[in-house]
Amino acid sequence: MATGIKRHHPDGSSAFSLSMSQKVYVRSRKGKATKIVQEHYLRTDIPCSSQLCPLCILNPPKDSSGAVRPAILSRTPPSVKPWGAHYLIPDTNIFVKAMDLMEHKSAFYDVIVLQTVLDELRNISLPLYNRLRALSLSQEKRFYVFHNEFRQETFVERLPGESVNDKNDRAIRTACAWYRVHLDETIGKSSAIPEILLVSNDNDCLRKAKELGVACTNLESYVKALPDTDALLDMIVSETSDVTAPQKLVYQEYYSTSRIQGGIKAGIFHQGVLSISQYNYLEGSVSVPSFERPLLVLGRESLNRAMHGDVVVVEVLPESEWKQPSTKIVEEETITKDDNPEAEDDDDTLVTEKEHAALQEKLKAKNTSAEFRIQPTAKVVGVIRRNWGFYVGHIDASSISSDAAGTRRQTTVFLIPMDKRISKIKIRTRRATGLVGKRILAAVDSWDASSRYPLGHFIRVLGDIESKEAETEALLLEYNVQYQPFTQSVLDCLPAEGHDWKVPTDTSDPRWTGREDLRELLVCSIDPPGCQDIDDALHARVLPNGNYEVGVHIADVSHFVKPDTAMDLEASSRGTTVYLVDKRIDMLPVLLGTNLCSLMPYVERFAFSAIWEMTPDATIVSTRFTKSVIRSKEAFSYEQAQLRIDDKSHVDSLTEGMRILLKISKLLRQKRMDAGALNLASPEVKVRVESEQMDPVDVEIKKAHETNSLVEEFMLLANISVAAKIYDAFPQSAMLRRHAPPPKENFEVLADQLRVCKNMTLNSETSKKLADSLDSCVDSSDPFLNTLIRIMATRCMLAAEYFCSGTMAESDFRHYGLASEIYTHWTSPIRRYADIVAHRQLASAIAYEPLHESLRDKPKLERVCQNINQRHRNAQFAGRASVEYYIGQALKNRELDVEGYVMKVFSNGFVVFIPQFGIEGPIHLRDMKVEYTFDEANYALEFNAGTEKEVRLQLFDKVTVHVETVLEESTGKRKVALRLQSPQIE
Amino acid sequence: MSRPEIYSPEGLRIDGRRWNEVRHVRCAINTHQASSDGSSIIEQGNTKVICNVVGPGEPTGGGVGGSGGNQRAKDDNRVILTVKAVVAPFSTIDRRKRSGNDNRVQEMCLTIQHIFEEAVMGHLQPRSQIEISLYVLSQDGGMLQACINAVSLALVDAGIPMYDYVCACTAGMYDKEVLLDLNRLEENDMPFLTMATLGATRKVALMQLETRVGIDRLEPMMAAAMSGCHHLRDVMDAEVRKHGKSRLARTGV
Repeated sequence: MATGIKRHHPDGSSAFSLSMSQKVYVRSRKGKATKIVQEHYLRTDIPCSSQLCPLCILNPPKDSSGAVRPAILSRTPPSVKPWGAHYLIPDTNIFVKAMDLMEHKSAFYDVIVLQTVLDELRNISLPLYNRLRALSLSQEKRFYVFHNEFRQETFVERLPGESVNDKNDRAIRTACAWYRVHLDETIGKSSAIPEILLVSNDNDCLRKAKELGVACTNLESYVKALPDTDALLDMIVSETSDVTAPQKLVYQEYYSTSRIQGGIKAGIFHQGVLSISQYNYLEGSVSVPSFERPLLVLGRESLNRAMHGDVVVVEVLPESEWKQPSTKIVEEETITKDDNPEAEDDDDTLVTEKEHAALQEKLKAKNTSAEFRIQPTAKVVGVIRRNWGFYVGHIDASSISSDAAGTRRQTTVFLIPMDKRISKIKIRTRRATGLVGKRILAAVDSWDASSRYPLGHFIRVLGDIESKEAETEALLLEYNVQYQPFTQSVLDCLPAEGHDWKVPTDTSDPRWTGREDLRELLVCSIDPPGCQDIDDALHARVLPNGNYEVGVHIADVSHFVKPDTAMDLEASSRGTTVYLVDKRIDMLPVLLGTNLCSLMPYVERFAFSAIWEMTPDATIVSTRFTKSVIRSKEAFSYEQAQLRIDDKSHVDSLTEGMRILLKISKLLRQKRMDAGALNLASPEVKVRVESEQMDPVDVEIKKAHETNSLVEEFMLLANISVAAKIYDAFPQSAMLRRHAPPPKENFEVLADQLRVCKNMTLNSETSKKLADSLDSCVDSSDPFLNTLIRIMATRCMLAAEYFCSGTMAESDFRHYGLASEIYTHWTSPIRRYADIVAHRQLASAIAYEPLHESLRDKPKLERVCQNINQRHRNAQFAGRASVEYYIGQALKNRELDVEGYVMKVFSNGFVVFIPQFGIEGPIHLRDMKVEYTFDEANYALEFNAGTEKEVRLQLFDKVTVHVETVLEESTGKRKVALRLQSPQIE
Repeated sequence: MSRPEIYSPEGLRIDGRRWNEVRHVRCAINTHQASSDGSSIIEQGNTKVICNVVGPGEPTGGGVGGSGGNQRAKDDNRVILTVKAVVAPFSTIDRRKRSGNDNRVQEMCLTIQHIFEEAVMGHLQPRSQIEISLYVLSQDGGMLQACINAVSLALVDAGIPMYDYVCACTAGMYDKEVLLDLNRLEENDMPFLTMATLGATRKVALMQLETRVGIDRLEPMMAAAMSGCHHLRDVMDAEVRKHGKSRLARTGV
């Protein structure tokens, strides 16, 4: 490396007076020399950003729109003894170790982030960098990024023989010293000058800083000087203890990067996302393109420290070692209950006896099982990307050593995550006993080959276990739902009139331009009872030529949410509204969602309308889209609408219109079914909450009316029409939704189960055949069986996803479940971001407004798609978990016997699905003192109850179970516990 | 290694400039007296170009694109411009030889020819030819703009009558921010245009945009590029006047 300085004569006008150009020669992979020359301008106008400094405030730099960034660092920074009021300058290591601390509300304000530090952090970890950037952008905690390497006085040149790290440390010290002098000079003696405090854990760096006269400290002593020390100390990433003796490896070391890359290229190794089984924490599977069936990863040793969701590299084991998925329910807490967190894993072997026994049965089963159940088996040899995030759980009280109670000594305890697929996490804390019985948020930091469990650190307490606030927050955190209230900058994007906003009465108002006046149409909305965010309304009428005119009117959200505003960015990052049982986490501020955009009855609202002309047999003659103004005549609930249609005494034109809608919707539905659309089922229940004390009182299954499917059909029609239109207008960047056909293998097990147990056939070749064979799976004596099969079939499907049309071949656009060639989401812009994008694109396609830049940018749209896909999934999970929690609460003090169906059979238990509550739960056979044999080929368990009779329990069998709830010790969740009532086996 | 921030939220670019700052410009004229009638060298940041001008003289029929020269030769009321450019193999980050008929270089030569056919008072030198040779020694973004500026200076040095300097500058659009005078890293990362104006006027001699960009983004980019052109005109004009003064001093007038 060579550096050369060119000094230029300062020319008065420009703020930079000296340029430095750096020449770096880097050897490329092929051995060719690559020359990288970069200019580096040094300037004197980078502000220190302290509100105390009169000099830097005087002449602030402007950006291209002429805006000035105000000084960030406060006049009165926090004061901590013995340093007094101070600005903090942490070094890179501090951000790596204690980012959670930095984000904590109680300390760490007025922090100067040096460019050197930021760049280093970016090289170490992009997620950490993004978090730090977000911190500095929010300004709430007053983090200021000081570009020390571009400021003339603080620029540091690398000395010959100096390492990059040493240079960076020196740059940090130089910047500290400069700040000190700068503030001294500019503030003057008149007021108190804040101290500049360097925080570093590097003793050498601290010593050199002292020599320079810079105040400095290490992180631990700084935190110790703060109030609320204990909570903060726990949040520091635990240091992997400096060991002198080489530690015994519990796990196999990962292969080197080059070996992994070579192996993947050669096809020996395979890369994929690891997913851990819900029922067995020691069993994972990885789907890779080169194998039809997912690769099985069995046992702690093979999993080799990989956690659920990690991108891993696996090596396939020889065929002789291939196994089949476990037929047992294995839960971590029952097996590793007595592990001691303090023990350094020196004595025990990796796989404990008990774990070994749990896995043993697989080898035996091999001979007996049908051939197709054997799956290629693999072991993890490397992790490409960790999926580590925040985990919510509780402290395992039994893991606290007795002598630690009451003392403030730091102890290691186990945190048991709520998610059963996640391993226990070792956490060091000083307040072990105080944390018992609380919901706790923690993060995973590392997982060394020498440690049996991952190492993490404590972040914060959410509240008591089973308190509603804590459980709801835990749920939102677990599924990464953004639930913080909207920031002021988002609220500033709302119309100034607030709730008094009205459609302008004067039709010459610019907001009326391009809008059709549809106020006279007989429009109504049909929604679930109590719906506040009404985003769709319908109308239908007979045209003079005998055809029908049908219109779908959608709330015009894109009129209020303009691209690239703070509100748009927030909505885009939230992606969707999340519905919990007692709570709605909105995507858009409530003013828009439930008022201005909501198509409420009797008031004028802006809408986006899709209007078709149809023949009486529901063939579309023409389609058009327009922005409009409507006035809804009535807001019905499904039930009300149904009653009104059925009541022959109503002959007004609104009811007639609804009858037309119903008639057409049936025709449309029939057409769709004929094309092979699937009618799938998922357990849908509603928890009734008594509004007063918000305690759930009962659970009921959602009722479906004809009007449900009426609305659904027209929404589908609108979505399909819009998808075709925007794809036509923007072949490269249209926001669409696809549903890939499921791989045949997914149905193999279910088809076999149906064949064996019920003598039914399932044909999954095409969606049409699947739909037909699902229809034929009917047991006349048991109407629910069909629904159960549909629920199980749904689980074999892939998830539908949003995508940007330019990223896929046209043949992949198909929506399998709806049997449509093209599809998008357009009808719920209040609660889904994809719909807002589709609205904008459609508005542009009909030449209502020009398309915003960001909606033409393919990579940007792809990122949006990725995010909303993820958010959508999480929202569903969160909703389900919320229902589950409330069911647990509703059944809290009740015990009852209900009917259920056997949904899965394991060798040591089975899973029962209870239609009444839409839940499923395992029944362990170890709890019952009976002898049994497991007939794997027939998916059955045979019990030798007594001597005279033999009870057989097969998949899909109807059983009666006793339901009560227990507080599950392992996860701290209130879980439904099931006990078999009939058939009697005990 | 991850890439550094192209434009930080604090408003600083990858090399420490702000959005509206051009790189350091160093230029000189009359640098190669022996081999040419007019010559110049210009450095814009790390992009370095030498230009030699020979002429006006007898037409030889050679020059850029062969055909171009010949066609023009028929119109003997105007001067014939020929432009050829050599991009040195060592000018980029990895040593790579560009063949003489590299399409991009050919296109650049043609662009420059068209610009200067309008800028030079061609009718004053009928039936004659001016040969322009460009040597790109080092590239760090903005090769075309540097070439245009170099030609301008060399033509002035050769004493060819022109309406005004032709000065060129690039501007790019990063997200919502206009950035002026892009270097190589920035050019690779965002849509940008090259604009040339006739001196400090608002007359546009060249507008070249090769990437798709929203129509609403174009105007701020053009405005920024134009201000960059005007700045370059001042720098070039100062250099020419300085040179003139020193010439005058030497001849002792």
